[in-house]
Amino acid sequence: MNELLYERALVWIILLPLIGAVLNGLLGRFADKNLVSALGVGSVAGSFFLALVCFAHLFTGMDAANEHGAQIAVTAYQWFHLSLPTFGGGVHEVGIDVRFLMDALSGLMTLVVTGVGLVIHVYSLGYMKEDPGYARFFAYLNLFLASMLILVLGSNLPVMFVGWEGVGLCSYLLIGFWYQTPAFAAAGKKAFIANRIGDFGVLIGMFILVSAAGSFEFADINSAAPSLTQPFFLGTWQMGTLATAAGLFLFLGCTGKSAQIPLYVWLPDAMAGPTPVSALIHAATMVTAGVYLTCRLSPVFMQSPVAMGVIAVIGASTALLAASIAVAQKEMKRILAYSTVSQLGFMFAAVGVGAFSAGFYQVFTHAFFKACLFLGAGSVMHAIGSHTDADIFRLGGLHKKMPKTSWTFLLAACSIAGVPLFAGFFSKDGILLGASELAYAPEPLSANWVGGFVLVALSLAATMTAFYMFRMYFLAFTGEYRSTGEEGAAHGAHDHHAYDPNPHESPDTMTWPLIILAAGAVSLGLLGLPTEWHLTNWWQGWMGHSIASVHAAAEGAEGAEESGLTIAYWTALASGVLAMAVGIGAAYKLYYNRADDRFRDAMPGRLYQLMADKWRVDELYQRVILGPLAGLATFVGWIDQTFVDMLLTRIPSKLALLSGFVATRIQNGRVYAYGAVMTVGLAVVSWFFVTPHPNLEGQAEGATAHFEAAAGMGYAYRWDFDSDGTWDAPTQGSEEGFGAERSPSHEYAFSALRGRVLLIAQPDGDDARVLVTEEPRPLPASLLPAGWMEDPTGDATLPSVRLEGTEIVLRRNSAVFSTPHGAIADEEVHLGIGDHVIVGRPETSRTDIAVRGLVEATVEVENAFGNRAHESLELVVNVPPERSEPAQARLTTATDEVLR
Amino acid sequence: MAVEFPIGIYIALASALFGIGAVGFLIRRNALIQLMSIELMLNAVNVSLVAFNRAHPETQAGQVFAFFVIAVAAAEAAVGLAIVISLYRLKQTVETDSADELRY
Repeated sequence: MNELLYERALVWIILLPLIGAVLNGLLGRFADKNLVSALGVGSVAGSFFLALVCFAHLFTGMDAANEHGAQIAVTAYQWFHLSLPTFGGGVHEVGIDVRFLMDALSGLMTLVVTGVGLVIHVYSLGYMKEDPGYARFFAYLNLFLASMLILVLGSNLPVMFVGWEGVGLCSYLLIGFWYQTPAFAAAGKKAFIANRIGDFGVLIGMFILVSAAGSFEFADINSAAPSLTQPFFLGTWQMGTLATAAGLFLFLGCTGKSAQIPLYVWLPDAMAGPTPVSALIHAATMVTAGVYLTCRLSPVFMQSPVAMGVIAVIGASTALLAASIAVAQKEMKRILAYSTVSQLGFMFAAVGVGAFSAGFYQVFTHAFFKACLFLGAGSVMHAIGSHTDADIFRLGGLHKKMPKTSWTFLLAACSIAGVPLFAGFFSKDGILLGASELAYAPEPLSANWVGGFVLVALSLAATMTAFYMFRMYFLAFTGEYRSTGEEGAAHGAHDHHAYDPNPHESPDTMTWPLIILAAGAVSLGLLGLPTEWHLTNWWQGWMGHSIASVHAAAEGAEGAEESGLTIAYWTALASGVLAMAVGIGAAYKLYYNRADDRFRDAMPGRLYQLMADKWRVDELYQRVILGPLAGLATFVGWIDQTFVDMLLTRIPSKLALLSGFVATRIQNGRVYAYGAVMTVGLAVVSWFFVTPHPNLEGQAEGATAHFEAAAGMGYAYRWDFDSDGTWDAPTQGSEEGFGAERSPSHEYAFSALRGRVLLIAQPDGDDARVLVTEEPRPLPASLLPAGWMEDPTGDATLPSVRLEGTEIVLRRNSAVFSTPHGAIADEEVHLGIGDHVIVGRPETSRTDIAVRGLVEATVEVENAFGNRAHESLELVVNVPPERSEPAQARLTTATDEVLR
Repeated sequence: MAVEFPIGIYIALASALFGIGAVGFLIRRNALIQLMSIELMLNAVNVSLVAFNRAHPETQAGQVFAFFVIAVAAAEAAVGLAIVISLYRLKQTVETDSADELRY
C-alpha cells in the first residue's frame, strides 16, 4: 500500500466513531437495539483495525534513520488564518490547518484509545443492556472516542484543543448520564467547571507559545523550544522565562483535565457515571490527556527547571494525598477513583523529574490495569444489582461466586501494586528510577531535593497503593459473602438499598473484556524491560523519536556509562519492591478472610476520620472559594434586583400604569361625557380651519431671498418684503389685492435694509448673530475663539461694534484682527456689508466675522371665510453697498486694500 | 308669488335646531331622546343644505347632499334603535348611564 492509503486510514480512524455518534445520537432511539450495538461497537472496531494497520506501518519504519522517526501525517484542509503579535512587536502570519499526525507517541495513544475503547464498548453491551438510554449512551461514548482521537492525533495545538474540549463535553454528558438524579447532574457540572478553569490555562499557554514560536504546530514549537528563554512579563512582573510561563499555564490545564492538585476534586465525583465510563474516560484515556500534552511538548517543559520542579512536586503530592484518601474509603469505585488520581500523580511526577518516556509508559500500562479494575468493580456491581455503590464491607467471598472477575481483578491489582514482572512493576520502576537519578544527580542541589522528595513521596504512595488495592481485594473477594438474607436486608434498611443475596458471574460480553485487559496488565511489561539488565527496551526505542529525553542529553555529554547498575537504580528498585511487599503484607495481615475494618481500629480515630472525609478538601473549597463566590453573586444579584430593576422595570411600569390611570379616566362610561369631548374636539378643529396660518419660512441667497408661506383651503396672499407698511405683491403699492403667489423671491436693494448684523462663525457650523446698533456693544467673549487676545496674560477689553450712518465701525481694543493679507493695525476698522475680517491668531485658533444686512418680510393670508392673519420674518442678506455710496470713500486705505 | 327670505334666516333656523339637538344629546340620559336629538341635528344640516341649494341651484348639489343625509339618517336610526333594544334586554332600562360595561 502506498502512503496515501495510510493517510486516508488516519482520517477514517477519527471519522468512524464520529459517524457512529451522529447516527446513534440522531436516529438511535428509533432503531433496533441490535442495530445500535452493531453501529456503536462496529465503528470502534473499524477504528481499532485501521489504527492497528497504521501502527504496523509505522512499526516497520520505526528503525528508519529518520530524524523524526516514522510518521504518518495528513492535512485535511486549512481551518483559518491569523495575524498574531509577537513578543518582539512584530506580526506572525499563522495558518491553522486541520492536520493529523501519527508518530510513536500518538500512535500508541491511538492504540490504547481505540483498543481499550473497543473492549469497553463490548463490555457496555452487557452492562447497559437494561438501560432506557442505551442508544444515547453509545452515541456519547462514540463521540468521546472521536474527540479523544482528535486530541491525540491533532498535529497542532488548536486541533488538539478541539479534542480537549470535546472530551470535556463528553465527560460532562456521561457523568450526568443518569441526570434524573440531581447529585449525578451536579457531579457532571462540577467536572465541567473544574475543567473550564484548566482550559483557561491551556489557552493562555497556547497563546504564549504561538507568540514566541510563530506556529501552532507541535513540531515547530518543539524545534523553537531552545529560544524560549527570554523573560516573560505579566504586566510589569517578570514571571520567569517564556518556557516557565507557558509550561505553568499548560500545566494548569493538565491539573484540570488530569485531576491534579488543586483541581482533582471533580474526578472522585465523576464516578456517578456508568462504570464503563469511569473505566474508559476517567481512568484509561481522557484523564491521561494532560500527561500526553506534557510529553508532546516535552522540549518546551525541559527549558524550564522551575515548571518541571512544580510539576514533579505537585504530581508527587497528589499521588500521596489521593493514596492516603483511598486507604480509608469503603466503596469500590471511590477507592479506584482516588487510586486513579494517585496514579496520575505518579505520571506527572515522572514527567516532572524528566522521565517523560517512563511517565508515558505508566499511562500505557495504567490504561490496562485500571480499566480492568474498574470493569471488575462494574462486574461486581452488576452481580449485586447495584448501579451506584459497592461497599466492600458488605461484600466478601465473591471469589467463589464469580471466579473470572476475581482472578482478573487480582492480576490487575498485582500489576498496580507493582508485583515484580507485572506490567505495573516495570512502569513504576521507571518512574522511581527517574526520581532517584535526579536525587543522585551531581547538580544542582535544588534538583536533588526535588528528586529526593519525589522518591520518598512516591514510595510512600506506592506502599499505600499496594495496601488499599489488596484491602479492597481481600474484603470484597475473600471470606464470606456478607449481604445474604437478613443481614443484607438489615443493611439495606438504613443504607441505599439491599444487595442481591445471590451474586452470580457476569455474562461473557463482560468477562471477556476483563480477561483481555488482565492479559495486558500482566504482559505489557515486556515492552519496557529495564536496560540496566541489558535487555531490549522497545518502549524507549520508540519514544526516543517523539519525546525529548533528559537522559539522551546527559548521555551525549557524559558518554554511555549511564546504563549500568548504578546506586540510583538499586535505590529505585529497592524502594519499589519494599513498598509493594509492605503494602500487600499489611493488607494480608489486616484483612485476609476478615470482615471488620482493622486498619481503622489501629489508626488514631481523628486521623482516620479525616482521611475518610477526604481531608475535607471539598469543604475547604466550599468555605474559601465557593462560599465567598456565592456571597458575591447574591450581593450582585441584590444590586440587580434592587437598583437596576428599579430603574429599568419598576419605575417605567409605574409610569405606564400612572399614564394608563389618567387616560382611562376619560373612559368613564357616560355617553354625554364622550359627546362633550367630541364637541370640544370638533370646536378646536373648526377653529383651526377658520383661522389662516401663514407659517412663513425663507432663506437668503446673496441679495435675493426666497419665501414660502403655507398652503391652505382658499388661501390668498399678499406680501410686504421690506415691512414698510405698503404691500409689494401681487400689486406694487396696493392696499387690498390678494394673490395666489405663495412662494415669491425678492431681490433686496441696499435701501431696504432695516439694520446690520455681524455673523461670527462658530465651531458647530452655525453662525452667531450680533445686531449692530448706534450704541457701541462688545462682542460676547463666548462667541470669539480662544486666541482672540493680543496679549493673553494681561487684562483684555472685548472688541466692540457700533453703527455709524450706513457703516459699521469695529473697535479692536485688545483683540487681534486680520484679513487674508495680513494683520490690521488700526484701532478702528470701517466695514461695509459683504466685508469680512478674521479674529484670533491663525496659528492657534481663529474665526471669521462677516457683515450682513438685516431685512424683515411680512405676509398676510386671507382664507375662504375672509379671516386674515399676518406673519413677519427677519432674514440676513448680503447686499453690498452701491458703488456710488459715499460710505465707500470713507474706508481707510488699509482695510480698503484687504477687503476688496 | 313665493316670499323670498334672506339666506341668513335659514342659517339661523338650522343653527338653532342644531344647538337644540346638540344640547339635548349632551344633557339627556335617555337613549331614545338622544337618538331623537341626533335626528334633530341631522335635519338642521338638511335645512341649511336645502337653503344653500336655493341660493346656488346650478348643480342641485345641496339637495343631493340632503338626500344622502336622509338615507344615512335612516340607516343610523335603524342601527341605533337596535342598539337601544339590546341595551334594554340587557339592563331593563334605556338609560345610557347603565351602559358602562367598557368603562375603566
